[in-house]
Amino acid sequence: MNQKINEQAVLLGKRQSLVGILTRAVAPASRNGPAVVILNTGVIHRVGHHRMYVTMARALARAGRIVLRFDFSGIGDSDARTDALPLVDSCLADIKEALDWLEREHQVSQIILIGLCSGADHAVLYGHTDARIVALVLMDPTIPATRRFYLHYIARRLTRLHNWTNLLAGRSRLLNEWAKQLILVVRPGLRSRQITLQDLQFHTCLEQSYQNTVDRRIQILAILSEETTRQTYSGQILDAFPNVQFRDQLTTEFFPCSDHLFTLEADRAKLIPLILRWIDASSSMFRAEQPYNPQNGNLAAE
Amino acid sequence: MSPFFFGTSERRIFGVYEPATSGTSGKRAAVFCYPWGAEYIYAHRTIRQLAVKLSTAGFHTLRFDFFGTGDSAGDLTDADLAGWENDVESAIEEIRDISGVSQVTLIGMRLGATIAASVAAKYPRTVDRLILWDPIVSGEEYLRQFDVIPQKLLNTRHCLSTDSKSSYEIQGFPLTMNMMRGFHSIDLGAWISPPSTRTLMLLTEPLPFHERFFPILAGRDPGSLEIETIAATRPWLESSASAGGTPVDVILRIVNWLG
Repeated sequence: MNQKINEQAVLLGKRQSLVGILTRAVAPASRNGPAVVILNTGVIHRVGHHRMYVTMARALARAGRIVLRFDFSGIGDSDARTDALPLVDSCLADIKEALDWLEREHQVSQIILIGLCSGADHAVLYGHTDARIVALVLMDPTIPATRRFYLHYIARRLTRLHNWTNLLAGRSRLLNEWAKQLILVVRPGLRSRQITLQDLQFHTCLEQSYQNTVDRRIQILAILSEETTRQTYSGQILDAFPNVQFRDQLTTEFFPCSDHLFTLEADRAKLIPLILRWIDASSSMFRAEQPYNPQNGNLAAE
Repeated sequence: MSPFFFGTSERRIFGVYEPATSGTSGKRAAVFCYPWGAEYIYAHRTIRQLAVKLSTAGFHTLRFDFFGTGDSAGDLTDADLAGWENDVESAIEEIRDISGVSQVTLIGMRLGATIAASVAAKYPRTVDRLILWDPIVSGEEYLRQFDVIPQKLLNTRHCLSTDSKSSYEIQGFPLTMNMMRGFHSIDLGAWISPPSTRTLMLLTEPLPFHERFFPILAGRDPGSLEIETIAATRPWLESSASAGGTPVDVILRIVNWLG
């Protein structure tokens, strides 16, 4: 399917403060299927790195999907929130407002969330809390390091010449990091008081979110790039969350030699069709539509 | 704030209009021109913050994405500099229609500044003031920053006449031979002469080619062009230390200068 598409600028959210672009086929949808919402990566606005989300949204719309990409509060063109919510809570509240808008204005009841990096993490944290979510496409979500990760990582560094030249020149990041950690062990008083994700037990939180996600029969596509310091092998997500019973709801795709942002056009030329194919192929496994009742919270069926 | 599309059906341009919100008469207007490529991605929020600040200072503002960039229609491989100059002209017409203001200030960053300068030179009666934030002064120097392009190619103008759809990739963005030819032709010294519009050039990073540029301006009326150096972060660069940060000093200087 290669339909002619239309892009519309929209203001949404309770305060009409979130800026988004709705992309969809000009002709009425020829099939019923989930809409797609693409989430921000870090502080980069809805266009995405290398304009990746524009290309992705147009490809999905040509295939008949309704696609919304919007900016979280305080990012891109969207105004900051005024309710002083913590950052993650603010993003999750924005997602709900965007989904409410999609449902109200476009009668959408099933939605797929797509995110890269922090966008993927927001998708994981939000997805299981909303009955409208049927699938998550996660590009390089946070995956805790495993023993095998360290072995791969160290082996990779040992086999690359520039790591040795950096070491000899005193520019080794790994060595510098170890030196800092050693100093903190010897002099714990120097330890920063800054709260880190580890302090917030992020691993436990993610694990619980993944378990809730599969319990709610949400399908997951995890796309992992190799050239990051996050993961080094395809099955790391399974090893990192051994208590989660992913069953047949998790599909992983590994992009060897691709960087975290899928910077090369050649990588994106593989990435976007892969997402389209997976959505089409997984559609039969998407949970049946459930009535959404905003009065009773997100999960109306429970 | 009103996000919307303007232009023709073949060339739909995305823009965000911010009305003047201060108690002033609201009889001034500004159009913003973004940088190109990855610089656009990182600088986006700073331009937005500047537009909001100016709207509270009494300006109607319109920031827009060039055709083939950002949220605007088209692909980058179909864009060229001449088309982007037309986009600036469309944006000027749009803000004049919306606000009823006859004269417009152009504010550009990096490549956007250079394009703004070229348009301002063509429309001295319409563009009342021009702000060039670290403009690209020399196309050749600009292209040399992208060290993936062979030096031989940059040194040989003849080679740049070869037509090809997408020949190079710069930080994830396609750079066609057509666009490279356009970049290569950039010569800000020639483009903003003769002096016509009152101009402020802000430099956060004095570069060697600025030295070559200054003598070209020596003959200009000093009142029409001010060049200032400000030590500030460069929002168009990716930096984990300043991610999402905004160079407040530069923004305040622009607002004050336009005051």
